[in-house]
Amino acid sequence: MNASELSDAQKSGIGQRIENWILGLAKKVTDPSYRKQFIWSFASIVLALLVSSLIMLIAGYDPGLAYVYLAIGAFSRMDLVLYYATPLILTGLSVALAFKCGLFNIGAEGQLYIGSMAAALMGYLIALPIVIHPLACLAIGAIAGGLWGFVPGLLKAYRGAHEVVTTMMLSYTAILLTGWLVSSNGPFWDGSMVPRTPPLLDTALLPPLWGYSLHTGLILSIIAVFAVDFLINRTVLGYEMRAVGLNPDAAEYGGINSKRNIAIAMGLSGGLSGLAGSEEIMGTYGKFVANWSPGLGWDGITVAVLGNNSPWGVLAAAIFFGGLRAGGNTMHQVVGVPIEMVSVIQGLVVLFVAAPRIINWLVDNGNTIFKSMKEDPFEPSINLVSSILGLAILMLGLGMITSLYSLPSFTWINAATALVYVLVAILGVMIFIVYWSKRPDAGWFMLLAAVLWTIAGVLEIIGAGMSALTSFILAIFTFVLWLADRLIGRLLVTKKEDDIE
Amino acid sequence: MMQGLPLDLIGWVFAVTLQMATPLVLAGLGGMYSERGGVVNIGLEGMMLMGAFTAAAVTYYTLNPWLGILAAVAAGGGLAAVHAIVCVKFKGNHIVSGTGIILFGAGFTTLMLEVVWHRKGYGETITNTIPDIVIEPIQNIPLIGQAFGVISPIVIFMFVATILSWYILFKTPFGLRLRAAGEDPSTLDSAGVSVEWTRAIGVIISGCLAGLGGAYLSIGFGSAFGKNMTDGRGFIALAAMIFGNWSPFGILIAGLFFGFLDGLNYAIQIYFPALLPYANFIAMLPYLLVVVALGVIRRSIPPKGIAIPYEKERKA
Repeated sequence: MNASELSDAQKSGIGQRIENWILGLAKKVTDPSYRKQFIWSFASIVLALLVSSLIMLIAGYDPGLAYVYLAIGAFSRMDLVLYYATPLILTGLSVALAFKCGLFNIGAEGQLYIGSMAAALMGYLIALPIVIHPLACLAIGAIAGGLWGFVPGLLKAYRGAHEVVTTMMLSYTAILLTGWLVSSNGPFWDGSMVPRTPPLLDTALLPPLWGYSLHTGLILSIIAVFAVDFLINRTVLGYEMRAVGLNPDAAEYGGINSKRNIAIAMGLSGGLSGLAGSEEIMGTYGKFVANWSPGLGWDGITVAVLGNNSPWGVLAAAIFFGGLRAGGNTMHQVVGVPIEMVSVIQGLVVLFVAAPRIINWLVDNGNTIFKSMKEDPFEPSINLVSSILGLAILMLGLGMITSLYSLPSFTWINAATALVYVLVAILGVMIFIVYWSKRPDAGWFMLLAAVLWTIAGVLEIIGAGMSALTSFILAIFTFVLWLADRLIGRLLVTKKEDDIE
Repeated sequence: MMQGLPLDLIGWVFAVTLQMATPLVLAGLGGMYSERGGVVNIGLEGMMLMGAFTAAAVTYYTLNPWLGILAAVAAGGGLAAVHAIVCVKFKGNHIVSGTGIILFGAGFTTLMLEVVWHRKGYGETITNTIPDIVIEPIQNIPLIGQAFGVISPIVIFMFVATILSWYILFKTPFGLRLRAAGEDPSTLDSAGVSVEWTRAIGVIISGCLAGLGGAYLSIGFGSAFGKNMTDGRGFIALAAMIFGNWSPFGILIAGLFFGFLDGLNYAIQIYFPALLPYANFIAMLPYLLVVVALGVIRRSIPPKGIAIPYEKERKA
């Protein structure tokens, strides 16, 4: 479809426009770079879940069972999923919008607090009619949050102060400031034992939408997705912001005022965070309580990062994290895994998304191994088996540590055994890395693993542990693999020499 | 109140200042190693939490606080190694990775708190904390006696670490390489030194120091691990690092100053209840000072090559 056709189509009726929109979406989805991004995000989630299952192993929980209940919890309570996603969409959009302009708004948390404080004040101090009141609260919340974001924006634009540092510092300032305002010494305390404001007037509350907790804020959040998408992709301001984000100097040369755009972007970003806070106060809490936010601003960073800073990506990522939270509750109730597992998963997702090259490295090396498998299956299959064994060693090493927990007393021998298992687990990772990337000097790691397993076995016997036999069997197995690796290496070298001759 | 109070009070504030400054200075020095090498490390908070938890857990099991310290340093360094792998080896975004480290550190330590002590919020009290050193000769001198007479070895180590860091950074080949990795990595590369390894070692040292700072919170100054017990100290350490202009003695002074504000807060809570309503504002001061310092005075200049992954030029 070329440009003239598109503009013709845009002029004709609304059906045509929807068709165009779907076509554009389809084009976007099939676009290789978009697909690559999707694969990266998806692979990051999978890797994070895998590593989290290792952590659950250490902590002594059953990861399989935990994930099953996580999924059941998420899919059976869609209203809860959307409820958790509602503020995350807005904080995620906030971080993503700033990022489009090349800014890292790490202080969404502070803007959220300031915004929610302002909304709460508007909500209980001023009486307004039914529809106007919530709108006014939301507006004032967005403006207050926006101002809190605008300050670091100005400082960045005109004084060169790095926004990561200033927003972070202002974020803590905001939490302390709002904490003081509602404390027993502050002006907006309700007189109870808890530092909080009096409840909002009924007219200011957001009406419930579906289920127990889901409120109309969700609709607002989704409207915000459309609005930010429109702003970034369809307006002059959005275009300028993106230009500044790509290269501020080039944008300046092209006649764009980067400083003004930076300040506006930070202001808008703060406004979205403020909106998120107001929505939560008006829909869920009903009053401002000191330190109420469970890290929604921080989670916004996670959401934006996973959603690759695109509005629709943010929506998807927020729903995903909402699912994690909702499912995490079920996981906690049924399997007993603490709810903090969810933040562990989140942290790991962010770490993997931060470095897409990890996934590239995995995929590329995997490809080369499987390609060379067709030509000569001998050497690559040793690599494949060894790297899988490396992962198995990691799992077993971690599993063994948990078996030590159940021993009646914690003695020095057991501590030493645990240390050996930790070393074995680290070695397992090393073996995987070394064999997966086909390093030539890989064999020695195998031998070392065999030696460590033997030591572990001896220590288990001394310390009256239960898994001495497993350790010895693994020692023998790794030793045999080391021998095979050596022999095959030797054979290959002689074969190559024969070929040369 | 008694006549002798002012002197006592000053001495007491002095002692609290040292105690509160120790984790800040240690983590701040850690941040310096990382950022001097060109890797932004906002994950200090996560690494401190990791150190605090590991120190408490290992001391709880082995009843030996020195092993706890060792494990805390290793755990902080381990988490930093993850940051190094993501940022240096795989050229990821430093700030995104740092956020991941914070989230992971906070989540993991709270999770393990429940696993180890089977309760929420706070772990069991640890009886074998790091013993304080009593220096007899100066114990009864006013002011100094209170601050230095009974002193934790980690507080002493803070001063040692500052001097040592200054020496390492400015007087040894490693320090030169580290600074080069942060200022001008391509020069370092052409001198035949691996930029990646230099940076990675800087990041790992930063994690070790942050872990030690965290350990001081749980088994030096306090005696239990609590959920999110660092309470933003990792960020104040970051502020101290910026305030101290990425130099060891600057960080020491900034850390002591922020520690002093903390000490003042405690002093107000105990001696001047009338001022208590404004305690939050004193707690705000370090954060606001950094914003003012960066925004208005603008004297902090980070290393030039910071946050820029170094890509080796391809061989033709």
